[in-house]
Amino acid sequence: MVNFTVDQIRELMDRPTNIRNMSVIAHVDHGKSTLTDSLVSKAGIIASAKAGDMRFTDTRDDEKERGITIKSTAISMYFEVDKEDIPFIKQKTDGPEFLINLIDSPGHVDFSSEVTAALRVTDGALVVVDCVEGVCVQTETVLRQALGERIKPVIIINKVDRALLELQVAKEDLYRSFSRTIESVNVIISTYHDEALGDVQVYPEKGTVAFGSGLHGWGFTLLQFATRYAKKFGVDKEKMMAKLWGDNFFNPATRKWSTKPTDADGKPLDRAFNSFVLDPIFKIFDAVMNYKKDAIAPMLEKLEVKLAPDERDLEGKALLKVIMRKFLPAGDALLSMIVIHLPSPATAQRYRVETLYEGPMDDESAIAIRDCDPKGPLVLYISKMVPTSDKGRFYAFGRVFAGTVRSGPKIRIQGPNYIPGKKDDLFIKSIQRTVLMMGRYIEPLEDCPAGNIVGLVGIDQFLLKSGTLTTSETAHNMKVMRFSVSPVVQIAVEVKNAADLPKLVEGLKRLSKSDPCVQTWINENGEHIVAGAGELHLEICLKDLEEDHAGVPLRRSDPVVPYRETVKAESSIVALSKSQNKHNRLYVKALPLEEELTKAIEDGKVSSRDDFKARARVLADDYGWDVTDARKIWAFGPDTTGPNLMVDATKGVQYLNEIKDSCIAALQWASKEGVCCEENMRGVRFNLLDVTLHTDAIHRGGGQIIPTCRRACYAACLLAQPTLQEPIYLVEIQCPENAIGGIYSCLNVRRGQVFSEEQRPGTPMFTIKAYLPVNESFGFNGALRQATSGQAFPQNVFDHWEIMPGSPLDKGSKLEELVTKMRIRKGLKPEIPSLDTYYDKL
Amino acid sequence: MAENTTFSTSGADAISRTIDVQPETTVTSPSELGDFYEIERTIAEILAGDYKRVALQFPDELLHDSVPIYRRLKAGIGLGRELYVLADTSYGSCCVDEVAAQHVDADAMVHYGHACMSQTSRLPVIYVFGKKAIDVEDCAQRLAEVFEDSSALLRYDVAYAHQAESIASALRRTLNIPITTSQIHLLSRPSQTPPAPDPEPESNNSIIYIGPESLALTNLLLTHSMSSVYSYDPLTNLARLESARTNRLLMRRYATVQKARDADVFGILVGTLGVASYLPLIKHLRAILSRAHKKSYTVSVGKLNPSKLANFMEIECFVLVACPENSVVEARDFLRPIITPYELEVALQAEQSWTGRYVLDFERLLAESAAAADAVPPNSASGENKTGENAEDEDEDDPDQPVFSLITGKYRHAKRFGAPTPTLDSGSGKGKEPESSSSDVILRNQDTALALADNAAAQFFQDRTFRGLEARVGEDAPSVLEQGRSGIARGYADDHPGTTS
Repeated sequence: MVNFTVDQIRELMDRPTNIRNMSVIAHVDHGKSTLTDSLVSKAGIIASAKAGDMRFTDTRDDEKERGITIKSTAISMYFEVDKEDIPFIKQKTDGPEFLINLIDSPGHVDFSSEVTAALRVTDGALVVVDCVEGVCVQTETVLRQALGERIKPVIIINKVDRALLELQVAKEDLYRSFSRTIESVNVIISTYHDEALGDVQVYPEKGTVAFGSGLHGWGFTLLQFATRYAKKFGVDKEKMMAKLWGDNFFNPATRKWSTKPTDADGKPLDRAFNSFVLDPIFKIFDAVMNYKKDAIAPMLEKLEVKLAPDERDLEGKALLKVIMRKFLPAGDALLSMIVIHLPSPATAQRYRVETLYEGPMDDESAIAIRDCDPKGPLVLYISKMVPTSDKGRFYAFGRVFAGTVRSGPKIRIQGPNYIPGKKDDLFIKSIQRTVLMMGRYIEPLEDCPAGNIVGLVGIDQFLLKSGTLTTSETAHNMKVMRFSVSPVVQIAVEVKNAADLPKLVEGLKRLSKSDPCVQTWINENGEHIVAGAGELHLEICLKDLEEDHAGVPLRRSDPVVPYRETVKAESSIVALSKSQNKHNRLYVKALPLEEELTKAIEDGKVSSRDDFKARARVLADDYGWDVTDARKIWAFGPDTTGPNLMVDATKGVQYLNEIKDSCIAALQWASKEGVCCEENMRGVRFNLLDVTLHTDAIHRGGGQIIPTCRRACYAACLLAQPTLQEPIYLVEIQCPENAIGGIYSCLNVRRGQVFSEEQRPGTPMFTIKAYLPVNESFGFNGALRQATSGQAFPQNVFDHWEIMPGSPLDKGSKLEELVTKMRIRKGLKPEIPSLDTYYDKL
Repeated sequence: MAENTTFSTSGADAISRTIDVQPETTVTSPSELGDFYEIERTIAEILAGDYKRVALQFPDELLHDSVPIYRRLKAGIGLGRELYVLADTSYGSCCVDEVAAQHVDADAMVHYGHACMSQTSRLPVIYVFGKKAIDVEDCAQRLAEVFEDSSALLRYDVAYAHQAESIASALRRTLNIPITTSQIHLLSRPSQTPPAPDPEPESNNSIIYIGPESLALTNLLLTHSMSSVYSYDPLTNLARLESARTNRLLMRRYATVQKARDADVFGILVGTLGVASYLPLIKHLRAILSRAHKKSYTVSVGKLNPSKLANFMEIECFVLVACPENSVVEARDFLRPIITPYELEVALQAEQSWTGRYVLDFERLLAESAAAADAVPPNSASGENKTGENAEDEDEDDPDQPVFSLITGKYRHAKRFGAPTPTLDSGSGKGKEPESSSSDVILRNQDTALALADNAAAQFFQDRTFRGLEARVGEDAPSVLEQGRSGIARGYADDHPGTTS
């Protein structure tokens, strides 16, 4: 059945020029997994008859039940490209055999982190776009993510059969719809112009756009048709492809090409795409679906399609599927598009190394990554953990960027907090086994050279989610992945039976390992919190936790949303706090940090680990800071990396550097537990204006300064119009016109704000975009379905933090009520402490 | 407090400082005083014991009554016996301050006011709680309204001990159920053997607590999470079911234990000098900490406050050794978590467990860990065999392996202090008896004290930004002398232009 062996694959692994690592990305329900089936069937892993129904890469039971992909799944395939097409490959190649490592990713926004993890280990992406729905919010998100990682996209416009069968569009309309979709993809791509990557816009005439139907298993690029017609017209394939797209018209009477839609007599001409590409397909559809039996046979002969005896008796869609699959097999078209247009690791790592590697570009690891050198020092990035059949153990899934990984020798396992030269988060261990991940199966491998995707056994206990493996002592970490989603929905879980607690704790650890995005921790009240990107994500996580990772019955709370504390203005007066011994005084002001800078800190663009001079330059150039101020940033908080700053704005204070550590500790503490309701602070800048210190070191020790500095920060916040920020979802809803009213009323009661409403040209579908507070989003899907009789499906993705209206200090305001509720939940005094709790008079 | 004046330097305010104390009782007439403070009984006990030098320990709230009490006692015991009044202790006033009593070389103590009844180690103690009034009938009535169970154990604030029997019988009458009471000994002699434990309620039994909301009640809730606890407050005459907050209390402690799991450097806070087995306990804590390769410091700071503890920035978690009533500290204002010895034991266990059991009593804690230690050797022996045979199992026990921290939700690479060097391990680890392991630990500590890499203080010092003054000899040009500030930091001469102090 399988038309290749592991040995063949292993052999190809040594030829980095003939490897393609690619992921399949798209909006939910645009047909990634179904399309992947076509590719997998081409490789002989599943029977081609089943392709389209089987969803091979959906390995979990709930994935099959719900019909959505939840986890990304990798599979390796062997493909031999048509010898004639080899010249089309514009990069170095070695023979017609190719190894394609494909990762099918989930499309639902809640699982975007899986996409990020998949993108990291691949060099190219097959972007699937639904021919009817067009480019949707998640298409855009994943495409942006891919380009950010310097991943080259190719496009397939999927579900063309729907356009033909359900919508019955005319050829020219279909052409226009295609070109519109391609145009909107290119608009997104063009905003990400990257010198190193070159022009990555997609063009049908260059063969980077495919059309097809994953469900029926057929698909083509213009290359397939160009091959057919090139001989007939006696031109080479490339020229033929160029003629088959755009404003190229063929006049059958004169057998001449023209760029005008009319001939000399003003008679309309058919677009070449319509007459050469769409026409045969339309004819087949027409003949089969309208049961024109007599017309079918000659047509098949002309297209050189031969049916097996039992297939001849088929009718309707079944027959259509068989014919189309033989006429334009999707697997061939897509795989050759992938091989021809997506970069090999040898090509891609040359320009990706800068975006992947944290260290200097001239150290041995960087050079080995750049050259994809299997003999260099090992550099391997683990992007996610895949559960094994052995409960509680995981395969570490990642990509070898340089060197060769094998079991046995000791390697350095560097966690995300590793700093070169230090011992934190560093383990020196050996790998037990290396394996090839094949969807639901694995195949053992002896070793795995640079450029390949691999699974490792025996190192999962040293890494939580991701990390870098290397043999070079000087190697820095690979850059950590930035996820487009944040865990903004929390649920508290508890065991029904106290004796099960150890199992729950172990389960939380496993859950945290198995998902790149989910976070689990315990809060001050001793509640076990699971945080995910959205309701669906949490539901899946909790189901896994209960049934699999922990395996014990659980009780869960209602979902809770985290808030952030911030300030709206500069402190009205300077906040003063005295130490307990009254010998030291701290003068602090709080002011809001620019939203752009706050975001940049959260995205890691500005970080506490940067060199302070370089950081000061960036702050001055991009965020309008004063350079001297920017150089005197003492600390980021909370957790030394958060989006709150303490800036030393004192002048000529003696002993100041002695209390720096104490002030930093105080900032971490204060920004972790804000003054209003002990939520994290966000976007607050504390200026330490002046300090009076006791001359004896013992009287200005940490004990005096830390609590005082914390109090000063709190007082400064209370004086600076403190308020809360809440997380906001971007909601995209596609629906027919008659459902719009229901959507609006549904959004209105939930404080939602519509900011865009567009009709998708050529369809009756509208796309509505709105902002919706995460707190109001629970049960939104259900309510929306009810209000629109099931015609509207929202996609919610975390977008930003928004300042809530009102002030928590106003008695009787909504915000005060919210703060009080939170304080009671946390076991605090119901009212916000008054200013004089923290503010001392001189 | 002097708010707007500048500051005096004489230290006189320490004497004249007023502290916020609400005198609990206003006993005026001599007869009431005698009754309330049980003067007669005290005299009788002192005479019976033939104590020559007796220390009287008063909490701040009762200090105002010390003089009349002293006079009457003095009159009662006659010449040849000395009495000394001790002021409040550095620790909790519920504890007997034996050390202060030893300063006057006392051979007995009288402890006034609320007491935690911890076993003392050195001196006999006569307890005088002060007899507080209680409406027995009302108490029984109110409790009957809320109580719903078939039997109960009666516990009470010591101030109501004098009425315990009558309350119990009143309750038996009204509720018509069996009521057990615990006996309180008004005279306690030092002993090394633990006293008979309080009667434990059968697992499902209820507890009735008489007394106002206090640490004692909180501790009762913590230690008896399986039972439902009803309380009656004689001051407000309210009865209610308290157990609703038990789970919450326990879960908060559980969260604190999780923080302790993440700590590598511990401070053992000495919070009492009066409880009998505090020394063995501190020794035990040091031993278990070093066995877990954690660094420990022993710190004595008297009464705790955030400023004192924040001076020890390198310590990541404190363990408070104090009498049961003062052990549980809500550490919201403290930089670092403070846990009890029992919580430390839980935190050091490899496997997470939190069954709702909670122990505050030192004796029981020590006894239990001794029993656990006895049970260990067979286990460890089998574990050794296993690791020898199976490579994967060895992997599981790898000390380097990071642990999952529930506080951050991330992996944490624990530092290991006093970890044996490989040679030491092969020499001493195998053949020796478990008993000798404590001496092993000391040896290694000394060994590692030399190696800077394994030193907690050195590591902390490395992470600090300020590491003392830099001698920039010859780098800076000498500057001209100029007039500096004068005065003290609380109020430099140039701080308040215009005002004089």
